[in-house]
Amino acid sequence: MNPVLGELWPYLLVILAGFLPTEVWRTAAVLFARGIDEESEALVLVRAVATALVAAVIARLVLTPTGDLVAVPLIVRIGACVAGFGVYLIYRKTVFFGVLTGEAVIIAGAWWAQ
Amino acid sequence: MSESPTPPDPSSAPAAGAGHWYWRGAWTALTSTQGMVLLGTYIGFGGLLQDIGFPLAAGLFSTLIVWALPAQVILIGGYAAGTAPAVIALAVGLSSVRFFPLTVSILPYLRGRAGLGTQLLAAHFVAVSAWVESMRHLPGLPAPARLPFFFGVANAYVAISLVATVIGYALAGTLPYALALGLLFLTPVSFLLLLTRNARELVDYLALVFGLALAPLFAEIGGRLDLLWTGLVGGGAAYLVHWWRRRPR
Repeated sequence: MNPVLGELWPYLLVILAGFLPTEVWRTAAVLFARGIDEESEALVLVRAVATALVAAVIARLVLTPTGDLVAVPLIVRIGACVAGFGVYLIYRKTVFFGVLTGEAVIIAGAWWAQ
Repeated sequence: MSESPTPPDPSSAPAAGAGHWYWRGAWTALTSTQGMVLLGTYIGFGGLLQDIGFPLAAGLFSTLIVWALPAQVILIGGYAAGTAPAVIALAVGLSSVRFFPLTVSILPYLRGRAGLGTQLLAAHFVAVSAWVESMRHLPGLPAPARLPFFFGVANAYVAISLVATVIGYALAGTLPYALALGLLFLTPVSFLLLLTRNARELVDYLALVFGLALAPLFAEIGGRLDLLWTGLVGGGAAYLVHWWRRRPR
């Protein structure tokens, strides 16, 4: 890859692989907003596929992170998710407290593992 | 509505102009829990950019024009892994399918007499955060106030996210090691909770659980399309359970 293209590549990737495949759904939604029933069966299926896919992204980031997170033991990464989830459920489904708890566990784990 | 002594008449135009409702929406967003969560998650995203070695400007560009954190994470994750662009685009496209029902359900409130261009611009700002916050307020607002209010909410969230991305990117290099790792972890843990909170029916919870459970399996056998396979098989299985329970008897 030549240097100019190499420098522009992240921006091109954002447009081609980020903006276009995302915006196509928003655009389609505008065009079909009058005719589409939000509760239709096809949308239940595609929403389930999308949810499972984002869940897979979460699992990948937690189980096999690409960055420095890999330095934190796997059991701590999973434990932080479980703790955050538990607090989220207990504290009236407040995402903020759940995230705070998960963070506390991961930071403590990272500090301990150092 | 402290500035109007009498209850507003829904059939008449609001006394306040579009600008008033825009800033009111922005203030609502800035003071919401969702705003704080976005601040945190995009600080995490900024940290992830730094961690992966993705240029900050390109990351900010992605926040502005993609405006979908899961898609942005898939994008830079794929960049880091050297995944083929077409495969990244497919994975992003699949993860962004949720914008279709989100946008369809919010547009009836926003449409009014707005032209196609304005509707497309409004649709661009539809993301889980702006949707959650707007849908809570829009039905109670006079019709002419809704579109500017929505733009206020959405633009404030984008602004928070852009600032947070810069903060996260900057802090990831200077923070103590343990805190830097904490920033990286904000993305997965907040997604997990946001997905759970967005789940409304059994099929959503099942898709979440199946996706989490199948991801390690397909990471082994799915090759480069492992995210797609996890989505299709996990989501398909969740839908089958849903279909089985709803079938006519």
